[in-house]
Amino acid sequence: MSLRAKRSNPVTNQGDRLLREYTRKDDGKHAYYHSKSKDMNIISEKNLGKTYENEDVSTIALREVSFDIRKGEFVAIMGPSGSGKSTLLQILGLLDNSTAGKYIFDDKDINEYKDDAIAHLRNEKMGFVFQAFNLMPRVSILKNVELPLVYSPIPEKEWEERARKALVDVGLEHRLDHEPSQLSGGEKQRVAIARALVCNPEVIFADEPTGNLDSKSGQIVMEILEDLNKRLGHTVILITHETYTAEHAERIIRLKDGMIESDIKVEERLSAKDNFVK
Amino acid sequence: MRFKYSLQSSLRSLRTHKSRSLLTILGIVIGITSIIMVMSLGQGAQDLILGQVQGMGSKTIIVVPGRQPKGPSDVAQALSDSLKERDFIAISNIANVPTARRVMPIVMGAASAAYGSDTYRLTIFGGGSAMAELFSLTTETGTFFTDEEVRGKQEVAVIGSKVKTELFGDGDAIGERIRIKGRNFRIVGVLTEQGSGSFVNFDEVALMPYTTAQQYVFGIKYFHRLFIEADTEADIARTVADIQVTLRSTHNIDNPDKDDFFVETQADIAERIGTITTALTLFLAAMASISLIVGGIGIMNIMLVSVTERTREIGLRKAIGATYRNILTQFLTEAVVLTSVGGAIGIALGAGLSFIASLILTQVVGSGWHFTFPIQAAVLGFGTAAFVGLIFGIYPARQAAKKSPMEALRYE
Repeated sequence: MSLRAKRSNPVTNQGDRLLREYTRKDDGKHAYYHSKSKDMNIISEKNLGKTYENEDVSTIALREVSFDIRKGEFVAIMGPSGSGKSTLLQILGLLDNSTAGKYIFDDKDINEYKDDAIAHLRNEKMGFVFQAFNLMPRVSILKNVELPLVYSPIPEKEWEERARKALVDVGLEHRLDHEPSQLSGGEKQRVAIARALVCNPEVIFADEPTGNLDSKSGQIVMEILEDLNKRLGHTVILITHETYTAEHAERIIRLKDGMIESDIKVEERLSAKDNFVK
Repeated sequence: MRFKYSLQSSLRSLRTHKSRSLLTILGIVIGITSIIMVMSLGQGAQDLILGQVQGMGSKTIIVVPGRQPKGPSDVAQALSDSLKERDFIAISNIANVPTARRVMPIVMGAASAAYGSDTYRLTIFGGGSAMAELFSLTTETGTFFTDEEVRGKQEVAVIGSKVKTELFGDGDAIGERIRIKGRNFRIVGVLTEQGSGSFVNFDEVALMPYTTAQQYVFGIKYFHRLFIEADTEADIARTVADIQVTLRSTHNIDNPDKDDFFVETQADIAERIGTITTALTLFLAAMASISLIVGGIGIMNIMLVSVTERTREIGLRKAIGATYRNILTQFLTEAVVLTSVGGAIGIALGAGLSFIASLILTQVVGSGWHFTFPIQAAVLGFGTAAFVGLIFGIYPARQAAKKSPMEALRYE
């Protein structure tokens, strides 16, 4: 099964409908656009290492990890549990610090940023999608999506419009006043994507976004992420342990025991994957 | 982050946990309610007492025997026999104190009065015929005793309304005789009922000529007080000075520090009472505010629970760009909103209860009691409540703001 074939699969009809909707609404008026200047690196890691010190026991989670991610790239980071992929994403997403090596984000060394500047960086240039959705309960979908704007310099009068737009992008414009508890898992994850999208970030980090979803919802979520990458130019960094989820990416970085095992374009992996799935 | 957003999100979070929030702020509500009540009732009591002091007449000057007490252990000095007949005569002399319109000695003490088989414990006031005016008293029936009766040491008495009821019931008391210290006193008048809120409870007294009281009741040759009324208010300072000079001369005192008497004006007394009641009110308010500390600890406790419960929310907020300060502000705002709501409820409750208390007190004390709602108490109460939130909110808020986003997101 190729990617093309998957997309026309009846199971993913809704995803197709969404894609058509985006295309209709886009028409150059869309607020989000990132130039795919593929030559520029948004992320550059050199010899990155992370060691957890815990009461005389030190655990090495990452060692000598080096790679670059270009603007507009769709990269999947794969590996079995304990391989350090979550640690890597946390370091990339500035949620945690590395203990060795160098991390250049958007042409600037992370060590040059102060705590508040890092918070602003997360707010303005990064969007996060988590496996557990992490939506605010008892708060409307619209307010959930508005949340990152609260911490942004964007004036309050623009909040609602931006949040609506982001919800349109994930196909949930008809459920603005619902609360998360009234949504299905797939819909919750789409709200989370809208929230990641609302500040128009450079990079979207998705940590096992389909991990809690059935295959159909997972497929829709992946197609939305793919669309955000292809059409709107967001760099997407995806963490997954599922090969069929990773296939949506252009490139797969495999981790094992805290080290890069392989870093390969997806096209090259197509045949290998067919065997794996069988 | 916008303060408005902080406020909205605090209110939402409080609404979400309605009963928990309500129970949490109970300590604050009780504390603020007590403070408001203490201050309102304290103010009411002060107004009442000052009203009575002022009822004594602003031109009244009192000479008290003994040195002015310098401290609590100095009480013995107040019991002195230094005021004698010669002082009364000297002050009454227009050459010595030209601005004294009236001078009246007072002797007082407790005694039992008997009528038939009934006895009643009352307070004896011996004074001059000017007593009625100096104490703003009127008689329900009968009259006050006269100057002749004072000079003649007549055994006559004017009794308070309660004494009359206790000894005579509904019967007529005028012309009857009561026994005090083995002597018969003819009742010439009964006082109008005063109510128990008076500075001195004139319902439970027997008034008689001071000469009679000195000789037959107390067996003393001195006075407990000298009441002097100045001609006008403007003359008070001069009158006080003249009295001091006169008494120093009759007592052969050169050094004012060795005075064996002191002179008080109505303003002095009012000031002293004001100081005492204010100190008392503040003391009681301070006691009441202990519950604010307890309430504050309750707030801190529940905020810590809330911070733990919302660890993932904090992690998320940090992940999407909230700074340390943003999270700190959010949780501090929540604590302050919580206690401020408690403060507002406490103020309303305190005002309501004080009002009810004042209605009851009006029944007990008489019309002298007025409901007062000191606005500074409300401001103080609200400010204190907010401050408690700020102080006890800092620790939980810091705990929240310090959380690492990664660990917070991983929290189960």
